[in-house]
Amino acid sequence: MTLTSSKPNPTTTRGKSWLRMRAIARRHAYVLVRSPHRLFDVSLWPLVDVLLFGSLAAFVGTTGATPAAKASGYLLAGIVLWHVIYQSQIAMSTGLLEETWTRNLLNLMVTPIREVEYLGGVAMFGMVKLVIGVGVMVIGALAFFSFDTWSLGFGLVPIVAILLVVGWSISLFVMGLVLRFGTGAEALAWGVMFVLLPLSGVFYPTDALPALLQPVALALPTTHAFTALRSLVDHNGSDWAQLAIAAVGSFVMLALSMWFLVAMLRTFRKRGYITRYT
Amino acid sequence: MVADVVLEARGLVKDYRRARAVDGVDLVVHAGERVSLLGPNGAGKTTTLLMILGVVAPDEGSVAICGLDLQRHRSRAAERVGFAAGYLPLTERMRVREYLRLYGQLYGIADPDPLIDDGLLRFRIADLAGAMGTELSSGQRTLIGIVRASLHRPRLLVLDEPTASLDPDVAQRVRAGLLDLCRRDGTALLMTSHDMSDVVEVCERVVFLSHGRIVADGDPESVASAYGRGDLAGVFLHLAERHELSGTQQSDHP
Repeated sequence: MTLTSSKPNPTTTRGKSWLRMRAIARRHAYVLVRSPHRLFDVSLWPLVDVLLFGSLAAFVGTTGATPAAKASGYLLAGIVLWHVIYQSQIAMSTGLLEETWTRNLLNLMVTPIREVEYLGGVAMFGMVKLVIGVGVMVIGALAFFSFDTWSLGFGLVPIVAILLVVGWSISLFVMGLVLRFGTGAEALAWGVMFVLLPLSGVFYPTDALPALLQPVALALPTTHAFTALRSLVDHNGSDWAQLAIAAVGSFVMLALSMWFLVAMLRTFRKRGYITRYT
Repeated sequence: MVADVVLEARGLVKDYRRARAVDGVDLVVHAGERVSLLGPNGAGKTTTLLMILGVVAPDEGSVAICGLDLQRHRSRAAERVGFAAGYLPLTERMRVREYLRLYGQLYGIADPDPLIDDGLLRFRIADLAGAMGTELSSGQRTLIGIVRASLHRPRLLVLDEPTASLDPDVAQRVRAGLLDLCRRDGTALLMTSHDMSDVVEVCERVVFLSHGRIVADGDPESVASAYGRGDLAGVFLHLAERHELSGTQQSDHP
């Protein structure tokens, strides 16, 4: 047997964190690239969504009335921006779920990776999925319905940032539930989005909701982000008041979900739930 | 000498809903020492290992790795430990080298390739570097798992059932590789096994657990003779019988 005298090459603490985050992102990239059906998440399904809502927008727009013309813009802009939350949330949640499905959680938990580094890695990979998925929608909306998302201008930047934070917050909450309750809680990874979608007024002002639900809708940062989006679609510029409420709300949501995840991780270690995945 | 201690577990207690899994375990392992944690099913071996690895939090007691308290410095302590278990799968959809590179980088090694080559060579599986995890036999996966666990030259290597369900030739290769690793790198080894030939060949010290408590600790011969048995298998069977009679007042001690 001939062994070299290789020694682990020392890296700085910051360098190690960056290395670990990239390693996690790359690990999930392998899963995506080598599971062709998962590519549908960032190609076919976003395209189907843009075709569905674009066709609806085109139909509504043919009535010629001003509200109908507005609604068609709301539908297309709404579905494209909705995918910012959807893709960021699903990419992060399924990052952890992938480790549970493949019984890889123990392998990971014994390594020096810190929780924040793991989340950073799956968030990095999630950003790649987000860019591809939303990119497909932007191109689809332009190609099939002549809807130029970029024409909404730089006012989109803060809205996208807020929706990204909301997507991450929901995923942290879902991860906490999965750690606490096991993979039975994974249905929430998808289900929670179907609750948020109508309540956030993605495609319509929230006064279209039943009166009972309107206070709930107003408590969600996404509602204010999509109200700000409609202001852009209506060529009224950025609605800074709505953006401020949405930004504060999204960071409160992020802080609460981080607290929840840390608490659930503590419970996970305390009760020895790792044995569910070995 | 404190610097020589790689693992210091003091007063570990863990209660699950129905029972106390670990009941006041004290365990100190020194650099280069090869220790086997033995006991019947349900004795508390895996829970003890999981607490030493920082994956399960003890209800009482503390764990220090190379002087680093696990509760306060989990990441730094984990850099000094490697873990593999015969029952854990490889990460899916990755080739062996990609898989080992992933874990090398998680341990902070910027360029793990030379260490990967060393590890594969040590266990005589260099030809598997390009294989997909799904193409490997269970024995090959176990060997890859041990290469992964030892890639970063840990001070303490923790193995749970490393030779479970392996063919005798592969099990022998695992034992030879582990001995080489410990002797060459000064790595301390803490392993569980139900195969007493593993224990006799690889370990110089055995620690028997029963009902979550350490009931014997010493070299294999002295532990066997303390129980009046000819070998470790006899001690194991004796404790297993006592374990089944756990409702009675019988003592697990010699």
